[in-house]
Amino acid sequence: MVELNPKERVARLFRREAIDTMPCFSGMGMVTIQAIKEMGIRFAQVHTSAENLAGSAIKSAELFGFDSVVIPYDMGTVAEALGRGISLYDESEDILYPTVPEKWGDLDEVEVPDNYLSNARMPMVDEAFGILKSRANGQFAVGAWVLGPFTFAGQVIELDLLLKGVKKDKERVEAFLTKMTDLTIEVAKHYQSLGVDYMNVREMGSGTDLLSPRMWKTLIKPNLDRIFEALESPKILHICGSTDMIIEMMNECGADVVSVDQKNNVAESRKKLGNDVLLLGNFDPYGTLCQMEASEVEAVIKKCIDDGVDAVWPGCDLWPDVKEENVKAYVRTVKEYGKKASPAVGRLT
Amino acid sequence: MASKEELFKELAEGVVEYEEDRVKEAAQKVLDEGYDPLDAIMDGLAAGMEEVGRLYDSNEYFVPEVLMCADALYGGLDILRPHVSKEARAAKGQVVIGTVQGDVHDIGKNLVKMMFDVGGFTVHDLGRDVPLDNFVKEQLRTDSEIVAMSAMMTTTMLGMKKVIAMIKEKNPDVAIMLGGAPVTKDVADLFGADGYAESAGNAVSEGIKMIGRLRELRQKEKQG
Repeated sequence: MVELNPKERVARLFRREAIDTMPCFSGMGMVTIQAIKEMGIRFAQVHTSAENLAGSAIKSAELFGFDSVVIPYDMGTVAEALGRGISLYDESEDILYPTVPEKWGDLDEVEVPDNYLSNARMPMVDEAFGILKSRANGQFAVGAWVLGPFTFAGQVIELDLLLKGVKKDKERVEAFLTKMTDLTIEVAKHYQSLGVDYMNVREMGSGTDLLSPRMWKTLIKPNLDRIFEALESPKILHICGSTDMIIEMMNECGADVVSVDQKNNVAESRKKLGNDVLLLGNFDPYGTLCQMEASEVEAVIKKCIDDGVDAVWPGCDLWPDVKEENVKAYVRTVKEYGKKASPAVGRLT
Repeated sequence: MASKEELFKELAEGVVEYEEDRVKEAAQKVLDEGYDPLDAIMDGLAAGMEEVGRLYDSNEYFVPEVLMCADALYGGLDILRPHVSKEARAAKGQVVIGTVQGDVHDIGKNLVKMMFDVGGFTVHDLGRDVPLDNFVKEQLRTDSEIVAMSAMMTTTMLGMKKVIAMIKEKNPDVAIMLGGAPVTKDVADLFGADGYAESAGNAVSEGIKMIGRLRELRQKEKQG
């Protein structure tokens, strides 16, 4: 039987070509504490060194048999490059992701400096992608992600200002989101120019936990349409939280793939979208890999596959402090139970 | 001259329709006419917010609308609350609230805070991205009966476990409330917390439902 290497497996999945088995990968962070410990560093040290960032991604994939490596891990790199600072919590022994400490107080204050792609940690992330590309050698697909414009806007502007603004000050908010969309496209294209194997756009702050489907259609979708129009394939749209009411619109944004989290009713979504659409999801990474007993993991992963995903994706970044046995069960189940064809992707015989 | 019922209805509708100026005007009239400000808060503003909760639960309102309703509610509360008797305010107790270190999202926290504000609690708001020690220090400093912590991201929720242990060790009677997107009932139980709100959405629902319970309690107090 043909055995593909991880890079081929992922590439073929995105092209909806037959594969040997389901790849175990993600479009979000998959760094594990086991890898960090083995490297003799602390979590706070992975975000500021290209060697640690790339090294911890590769080490995690090697330890558990992931088909991909995905960086960066925190959501603050671009906001920091715009001059918003970064809290690294480097004194903390805990797992705390860097956050953006200073948001702009008003939409009119937002300025995008010309050279932001070479500011702050952006060059370090580029260097880490270079390391991943040079060391991957087909053993891993190299994934990248950007925040969608609405979610990114929430990183640099007070979210409540933004949310109230969409009702009270719609034109200004729309103009601002257009600006953020330009920025998202520029960052994503930049990563694509570095040769990443796929691009995940995470518009995670826009589910119907927060916004109405109508607002999603008028405020979020046009910007996503423009992003996916501008990007090369493979390109994925991931939204976490409540997505049942917007899943069809998500699929009309021009992405090759739609990804959802555990709040989505995937069996229903599969019916709505049909069998030709690539659909990824949808287990709760914290609950499944950090809390459950290892013996319970298999059923969770099998349910995702039975519900009709084309690849099992976690609903969010893996929480790094995973239980080793749970991750092994997750990877094993994806690769074994994923030998059968999924709705949109056949299997090599 | 507007009747008490008319003014309370005006307050409630102003909250539901997120018309802040309308609420402020009605609140001022309540004071001018000499009606009880606490009644106006509970039967006007809080009643309106309960309706907002219903609209949210039935997917008619989403978070932007709820935030604007909350602004309208505060518009009235800021006018009425200074006139609530000191005894009525002191009896309610104190709460320390904040989002834990590593979390810079505070919408859920602010909605839960609103519930305490409406209920007449003295709220010590530590803001967001709060170092864990600060919750403990603030509880000890203020002798608050409740500590309410929120974490919207999984990546920060584990910090809450430490705070709970630290506070319970020093003062086992303090009630701990957890809220935020990733915190489930199981997790709250595991951490030894006393209450929880399941998600950002649920923080909205739960916060508002707590207002409903406060209203019920007040009705009972009045009847008793």
